[in-house]
Amino acid sequence: MPAAAETYSLGAPVEIGKIEQELKKLWQEGEGAMTRASLMNLAVYSEQPGSLNNNTQLMAKITENHACRAIVIEADCRREEDRVDAWISAHCHVSSAGSKQVCSEQISFLLKGGCTTQLPSIVLSNLDSDLPLYLWWQEEFHEPMDPQLWTWVDRVIYDSHGWSDFRSQTRLLELMQKEANQRIVLCDLNWTRLDNLRFALAQFFDHPASHHRLAKISKVRIDFAPGFRSTAILFAGWLGAQLNWHIEEVKSPRELRFTGASARHIDVDLRERDGEPVHEVALTSGDVEFRVTYADCGDLLEISRAQNDEKRIPQLMPAGNNDPVGLISEELIRGGPHRVYLNALNCVRDLL
Amino acid sequence: MNRTADQPEPNPLREGLSARPVPQPCSIVIFGATGDLTHRKLVPALYNLAADGELPPGVVIVGFARRDKSDDDFRREIEESTRKFSRQPVRDEIWNAFAQSIFYHRSEFGDEAGYEQLAKRLDELDKSHGTRGNRLFYLAAGPDQFESILKNLKAAGLNQTCKGSWARIIIEKPFGSDLASARELNRVVRNSFTEDQTYRIDHFLGKETAQNILVLRFANAIFSPLWNTHYIDHVQITAAETLGVGTRAGYYEDAGALRDMVQNHLIQLLCLVAMEPPTDLSADSIRDEKVKVVRSLHRWSRSEIAANVVRGQYTKGAIHGEPVLGYRQEQNVNPDSQTETFVALRLFIDNWRWADVPVYMRVGKRLPKSATEISIHFKKRRRCCSIRICGTSTCSSFEFSPTKESRCEFMPRCPAQVFASSRLKWISITERPSANPARKRTNVLLLDAMSGDATLFARRDEVEEAWAFIDPIEEAWHAKKDAPELYFYPAGSWGPEAADDLLARDGRAWRRL
Repeated sequence: MPAAAETYSLGAPVEIGKIEQELKKLWQEGEGAMTRASLMNLAVYSEQPGSLNNNTQLMAKITENHACRAIVIEADCRREEDRVDAWISAHCHVSSAGSKQVCSEQISFLLKGGCTTQLPSIVLSNLDSDLPLYLWWQEEFHEPMDPQLWTWVDRVIYDSHGWSDFRSQTRLLELMQKEANQRIVLCDLNWTRLDNLRFALAQFFDHPASHHRLAKISKVRIDFAPGFRSTAILFAGWLGAQLNWHIEEVKSPRELRFTGASARHIDVDLRERDGEPVHEVALTSGDVEFRVTYADCGDLLEISRAQNDEKRIPQLMPAGNNDPVGLISEELIRGGPHRVYLNALNCVRDLL
Repeated sequence: MNRTADQPEPNPLREGLSARPVPQPCSIVIFGATGDLTHRKLVPALYNLAADGELPPGVVIVGFARRDKSDDDFRREIEESTRKFSRQPVRDEIWNAFAQSIFYHRSEFGDEAGYEQLAKRLDELDKSHGTRGNRLFYLAAGPDQFESILKNLKAAGLNQTCKGSWARIIIEKPFGSDLASARELNRVVRNSFTEDQTYRIDHFLGKETAQNILVLRFANAIFSPLWNTHYIDHVQITAAETLGVGTRAGYYEDAGALRDMVQNHLIQLLCLVAMEPPTDLSADSIRDEKVKVVRSLHRWSRSEIAANVVRGQYTKGAIHGEPVLGYRQEQNVNPDSQTETFVALRLFIDNWRWADVPVYMRVGKRLPKSATEISIHFKKRRRCCSIRICGTSTCSSFEFSPTKESRCEFMPRCPAQVFASSRLKWISITERPSANPARKRTNVLLLDAMSGDATLFARRDEVEEAWAFIDPIEEAWHAKKDAPELYFYPAGSWGPEAADDLLARDGRAWRRL
């Protein structure tokens, strides 16, 4: 086994038609107690030069907790020649019991030339049988959207924060969903980024006695880092969708006004500042302010509420990892559709 | 697993964020705050919940004990032990925030005025820390103090709360030492708290693997039709530990392995393996089915006990290559002690599903390795296509420790042979190794109690039925005449040979762990 230990190399080059045979050999030649494990097919698609190596490194970390068949694809669509190179390797990690190595296999492809025509056949012919297909699309979506591919995808993972044209991208997503008969689950890492913040804020309102505070929210402030306006707007969309607010007015790029029940106004202030993608959120409800902010140490959230001038008693909780491995890992442990995300997106789609 | 009537209305911001019932703000009052349990388990568990962001805002911890000390003294002591016993390293910034919610209340357990002052203090904390009038009392004191604590809680009105709030009590084992004392304890508890308010904690049930048993059994069509006497040959449950009696001799000398482990943990695990599907996932539906299993345990007559229950005591030997003392040489142990440190049992469940399927249980101290496992041994196919099949039966196992794996083992064809005896192991890792390494059984159970989910806590009738099963064995062992023998086994072995004979007589053997 060339890759008995954790490896960041692409592994052994293989002929396209012999991938399965070569994978079989890889396991037969393995030494020691190793278990091949796979719970899903995780395909990653990128057009960035050098992404094969970068994504192999990410896969080495992701497979520590998520055994899968990884299909890592780098496409160079501008080349005139049509060519596909492939490699196989394995990511092995010592199991929690300490004695066995649990290994995930990786097939890497470098596509040159007609990427869109090659992609479906590359992915579909190398899937581990009868396991769900997660496709992590690291590019913006572009036409044509090949139905042959999308009908096989169970969950498509993307990060909307870098999208240059949100509307055209969401249109393509809708097209993709149509091709897949609505079966495909949309997983936006820009939304995953908000998980811990949403969790922290939601805790304030768990007790029935605090529910009335939700109906009295009059102001929301969201501080976001440069480049993460869409993340902040998604957060506002989440509040709007869950609390039945509707966009009434966009006063300025940083001031929104929602309308809640009984024509109540809720003003949302979006403030750009250096820090985490969404660095701080504050809700004002009557005389109480609920606040979630990143603590100075950076990996913890500080949550607190204050009524009038009373002293805040802050509580700390994990902020989660905003790196790709952390975000993808969060996404991979989920099942079911992202209804809450879709509702949030629909609430603010005209603002994105 | 399910919400009780006093669960809050759904919070719209929670949608999609957590499948578990939501723990509620509360004051957690720990009786026996200076004791081992508080320092080693409870506060470290609460700290880990806080560090993982699972403790809701508005939770305070009030230590209740006799010794005189200030809030700050208590915080300092508890910080020291949390740094020592926490499963994840203590971070200063998290501790500092967490410590602001820790308080100390000095009082004798029998001093009524101390409870009245406690009630006032809790009311003040409701206002200052948003604990909402919810109270969770944790009895981490000795069982001899329970009655006094419970009576005084009631006298101070702390067993009741205003509408929309709750008061619950968590009781640690032992839940009595026999049926009579268990009934007496239950009577004492019932005088102050209703059964709905009472949470009898069994730390084994907080293990993820225990909860996986029900899911694996009832959610997988490959198992549910096979889970009965037609396909299952026998069941084995082992709880082995390398540790000796340590500092627990005072308690253990009176209790022994049967009372300490079998009456509660092992019977609870057996219930999960053997129970019928509940009508729904409410705590009471699940516990209704569990108690039926305990009621169905075949009661041996006194003369049958020696043939079906083996008791043993460890003598000097070696663990991991290190010499260790025999039980009778341990500190605070009677040199002529008859206390069992090992028990093996052969049980039957008298119902249609388990008719004639023996359940072998063993539990012991100073065994070669620490391991807890349930294994389900399916019947062997002796012939197939006119060919005799050799080898072992198919087996499903739930390993609680050390690996936390659920496994299904089956027989494939061996290369170059027609039928094979080699066993292929299919492994499912049931707990993701790094998903949340600090989330342990105590943490889960504390969250459940804060959420009002009693599924993983023992109900009064379960406890009493278990004692009704155990008592005849204890009586036989303590009979003046013809008491079954106490066997001895060297530390580091798998118990006395008589335990192996228990299975060998049936043509079976303990699974090698």
